[in-house]
Amino acid sequence: MNEAINISSLTKSYGTHTVLKGLDFCVRQGEIFALLGINGAGKTTSLECIEGLRNYDSGSITINGIMGIQLQSASLPKYMKALEAVKLFAKWNKTSPDRAALEALGIYELAKKSYYQLSTGQKRRLHLALALTRNPDILFLDEPTAGLDVEGQISLHEQIRQLKAIGKTIILASHDMAEVEKLCDRIAILSGGKIAFIGTVEQLGEAMGKHYNITIQTENGAERYELENIGDSLLSLLMQYRAKGETVTDIQIDRGSLEQHFIKIAKGD
Amino acid sequence: MGAFLYGVSLQWKLDIRSKTLLITCYIVPLLFFAIIGGVFTSVMPEARYTLIQSMTVFGVTMGALIGLPPSLVEIYSSDIKKVYKANGVPLISGLALTNISAYIHLFLMSIILYIAAPLIFQAEIPENPGRYFISLAVFIAVSLCIASIIGLAVKDQAKTSMFSIIVFLPSIMLSGIMFPIELLPKAFETTGKLFPAAWGYKLMTENTFRFGSLLPLLLIFVLAAVTCNILLRRVDK
Repeated sequence: MNEAINISSLTKSYGTHTVLKGLDFCVRQGEIFALLGINGAGKTTSLECIEGLRNYDSGSITINGIMGIQLQSASLPKYMKALEAVKLFAKWNKTSPDRAALEALGIYELAKKSYYQLSTGQKRRLHLALALTRNPDILFLDEPTAGLDVEGQISLHEQIRQLKAIGKTIILASHDMAEVEKLCDRIAILSGGKIAFIGTVEQLGEAMGKHYNITIQTENGAERYELENIGDSLLSLLMQYRAKGETVTDIQIDRGSLEQHFIKIAKGD
Repeated sequence: MGAFLYGVSLQWKLDIRSKTLLITCYIVPLLFFAIIGGVFTSVMPEARYTLIQSMTVFGVTMGALIGLPPSLVEIYSSDIKKVYKANGVPLISGLALTNISAYIHLFLMSIILYIAAPLIFQAEIPENPGRYFISLAVFIAVSLCIASIIGLAVKDQAKTSMFSIIVFLPSIMLSGIMFPIELLPKAFETTGKLFPAAWGYKLMTENTFRFGSLLPLLLIFVLAAVTCNILLRRVDK
């Protein structure tokens, strides 16, 4: 698969504080790729360097295609109407607004509303529409569903899947692990200014080992355990309860979530 | 070019919707004209000879210094700048479009004054209307350039108002539209010459064209344009 983005040895410092310490990764064409990291990991700096919004100290960034960018923190002039903004951006980019995409995002319904009258969800939809006015090959979505209600999130997820289906490469920055798990083909976790993990969600699970959360309920209350080898460990755990004379009334087992794996890697555990 | 023209027409509409420019470019200058025009011509009948020029200098200075900077602060000190930059809208477009729109509004307001003053207060029309409007065109451009410095340099709306007033008050008080600058102490007279209003008023009221009155305006314009360019580069970083 061809590369849409290639980042090599990227470094960036703010004064004496080095945020990116030689970042290396690539994003493949047509995939949904998530860049994850706890606050201060360098996620926003990396994205802004790739998007061309911030200068970097050394390294190289290769972009194969036109970029469309939906920023997390975005705004427009207070009295600009939704459709006027789309037309303005399309005209500067010498493109024609994609009617189907605008309809799917519900921009025509917002046509007569000024920017300040839009809700958070409507603003996010509008900024996605603006990012699409360049007819981009690569789309950056920074926290695209933040502040959206459940219906808005489902609708936006569907639109992101449709964009992938027509061949767009999508780079997603999100704090919503469920969203990342549902949408992304691959993820990269940033920790300490470097890539601590890159691969699929399944590969992350494998890399972290078979990890289970067990909750055992007895008449005396519930106790939680984290086990790796569930077969032997659970059996011996139950034997211990029997030996103590406690009756087990319920057992809950769940596999370690992406969230847990993410936190372990991101914090360097 | 299509994008630029669409941007100009859109900015024109935004300015009308926002009402800030409407108030500062039309309502306040015309209200000032209605009241002060009456006072001037009653107290000093000879004021009618320069009423069009003095009211125009007030209106343009007010519209430019008070009206333009908030629009620029809205674009360049907020996330709008990032959205423009990220999605292919040239950063300079914000500066250019707001200036052109304000320029048109200020020119229209000046035309209203030019027509209304003789009708209401029997003000005298400038001897050479062509030269008057050329002088006016230069003066509006220079005033907007000064206003752009405030809009690009200051980061928030509250401070913008403060800096605008700091420049606006001496511009008007020391320009000669209220009283002859020759009557002012030398220091005030010299200070007044640092602002375009004094030179704009001089240029518009002179009966013959003097390059000596145009040159300071051109110098202020060049200096202001260079400063705007530097500030825009700083904003871009």
